[in-house]
Amino acid sequence: MTKERTQVADVDRSLYDFTKSEEGYERYADGLTPDIVRAISAKKDEPQWMLDLRLKALDEYHRRPMATNWGPSIAGLDLDHISTYVSPKTKQASSWDDVPADIKDTFERLGIPEAERESLAGVGAQYDSEIVYHNMREEVAKQGVVYTTIEDALHDPKWEPVVHEYFGTLIPMTDHKFAALHYAVWSGGSFVYVPAGVSLDYPLQSYFRLNAQGAGQFEHTLIIVEPGANLHFIEGCSAPKYYEANLHAGAVELFVKDGARLRYSTIENWSKNMYNLNTKRATVGADAKMEWVSGSFGSHVSYLYPTTILAGDRSSCEFTGITFSGATQDLDTGCKVILNGRDTTASVSTKSISKDGGINTFRSSVVVGRHADNARCTVSCQSLMLDNISRSDTIPAMDVRNPTASVGHEATIGRISDDTILYLMSRGCSEQEARTLVVNGFANPVSKELPMEYAVEMNNLIKLEMEGAIG
Amino acid sequence: MTSQAADARYVEIPAHTVREEPIVVAVDTDKGEVADTGVMVRAGATVSIVVAAGGTNAAATTSASLLRVIAEEGANVTITEVVGIGSSQQHLESVGVDADDDAHVEVRQYALGGGTVAFGTAVSLSGDRARANVGLRYFADGKDHLDVNHVVRQRGKNTIAHVRENGILDDAAEKALRATIDLVHGARGSKGDEAESVLVFGDDVVNKTVPVILCDEDDVQGNHGATIGTVGPEQMDYLADRGLSRKDAEALFVRALFEDAIINAPEAHAHDVAVRQAERVLGAEVAHDFDASVQLAEDEEA
Repeated sequence: MTKERTQVADVDRSLYDFTKSEEGYERYADGLTPDIVRAISAKKDEPQWMLDLRLKALDEYHRRPMATNWGPSIAGLDLDHISTYVSPKTKQASSWDDVPADIKDTFERLGIPEAERESLAGVGAQYDSEIVYHNMREEVAKQGVVYTTIEDALHDPKWEPVVHEYFGTLIPMTDHKFAALHYAVWSGGSFVYVPAGVSLDYPLQSYFRLNAQGAGQFEHTLIIVEPGANLHFIEGCSAPKYYEANLHAGAVELFVKDGARLRYSTIENWSKNMYNLNTKRATVGADAKMEWVSGSFGSHVSYLYPTTILAGDRSSCEFTGITFSGATQDLDTGCKVILNGRDTTASVSTKSISKDGGINTFRSSVVVGRHADNARCTVSCQSLMLDNISRSDTIPAMDVRNPTASVGHEATIGRISDDTILYLMSRGCSEQEARTLVVNGFANPVSKELPMEYAVEMNNLIKLEMEGAIG
Repeated sequence: MTSQAADARYVEIPAHTVREEPIVVAVDTDKGEVADTGVMVRAGATVSIVVAAGGTNAAATTSASLLRVIAEEGANVTITEVVGIGSSQQHLESVGVDADDDAHVEVRQYALGGGTVAFGTAVSLSGDRARANVGLRYFADGKDHLDVNHVVRQRGKNTIAHVRENGILDDAAEKALRATIDLVHGARGSKGDEAESVLVFGDDVVNKTVPVILCDEDDVQGNHGATIGTVGPEQMDYLADRGLSRKDAEALFVRALFEDAIINAPEAHAHDVAVRQAERVLGAEVAHDFDASVQLAEDEEA
């Protein structure tokens, strides 16, 4: 039977869509008040400057109106019915045996411990608002690499001044309303410091799981890669599906110093009730390189535009991204590149797939500053429409202020040609297999940039999303 | 509703006729003139419309031209707009076209510099198999501001749209271009493409480009592209081998643009605007060189 032959049938839907009881969890009241912000800060026993920053951010959040002229509607997001802090009653562990059974089971099902054993230099696992597991290989720690939570770094006299120096400087709280929200209630995330000249052979990975219903996750990731160092950092996120809105408003600040290299890979598979309003930004020093690999598959609404500031001469950036939007999804994704240094280069390549009424919007912004002599930038965006009830828009913007710069942009939107499907069917594929094959091929330039287990996860997600694409 | 424009007019081209003389809308920007023109092109008719807006005065004026065209089934419409104004002037140039089944619309635009120029073009390909070619060539220098908004909405089935922008920016000129191909739900079999090429010569130029594709239909093809830069090293090497400096090479590109505008100006007003701007940018000798070559070509043709 045809059905038995489709690869889609092999995918276990329960991989992401399972929930665990919140019984016994610490859950703060819905809404956003100074008391809640103070309670979060007190629970973390933070230095005064961090509490001051939180309260200032809270004022900024209330002061700013909700944007009404940007992207997909977020009218369904009611902060008065979102809890900004939910924590399982457990301490951070450095052994999976010390993690509560239900949480451990969650991460086992997501394959995190297995990946750690096989191919990672360190893992952080966040469950709702707190990191529940953190560990790093001893040999990596011996090189002077620090991979911990921001909370722990704030309690270490050696690292607290470093956090103070960098935290919130690349993404200011005035960036937008949800950046302000983030700084008011941030919790969890990662602090990574790679000393000069150190190159990690294996990636570090943080996985963020939001289990609680009607809650927000606001992790902050701060990574400093010192001159000549090299790091691959992987970020994964998922959540089960509920029938009320969840919110993710994280922040990622990346400092890539002179001659360093940082690859930041993300596979985002939030549930389709999630508002994913995340902010990511990197600043790149002279002769340094920033690489983004980004896969967006989940969430109800996304605003996601990782930004790279090529500040140093001869710095470079590559952005490779894919967004898959299905039923009930309206994903507004893309990237921003600001070329300020001389002889800087940037390359952006994105793909998007729309089906079952899903809406994709690709947005990019390329800004070439006045002093960016000989800057080079290319942007390529390809969109695939799988049916006539979906939608795909591309909105790239280029602002060039240097006469020696060269900027190129190309975009195409179309569907899988009938000839291609017919050809594959004539060789024994069912129509669904043929379409899945073509979509996988379309996504291949992105999946080949991912670590193997993530490439497999991405291909599985595509198969999962393709189920029911026919008829 | 009564038009606010002093010289508002309505022209109708009867079905299946060819109007030999173009409809001319001449706007004297020195006088701050405003024109409002409506043209109904009945089924199968053919017409050429020319909008020429120009002036030289130092006086700050605001002028405008609004042209609305309805192209019925199988109509052929060619619109040529030539705009070149004084450095203190501002001009608002707008065209709206609705094209029915099998109608063909050709829009050729020349923005030849001056204070502040806003070019707005909205083409709706409402009918099946309607086609539109929109081509803009622009030059801006000094502290000129050029603001362009091209929108082509493809509503009918099997419609085709080509949008091309090609320009040169020098000195501290600022340009913003938004070009939108909108493939509306139901426009099955339609193809839309848009491409811009910009040469940046001046150190203080600000070039903004936003090419947009909106797609609400799967059985369509949408493409856009943009290249922004200066004369490439290979081109420069080629020209250097022939004794040309970078400045000479840049001047060649500017001359080519003005030559194109003068040669393709379909009537006297548009021709005068193009020559006047060429004189300002390239000098009278070069401008009249073009003129002489045009005359020669016409004589030969005669």
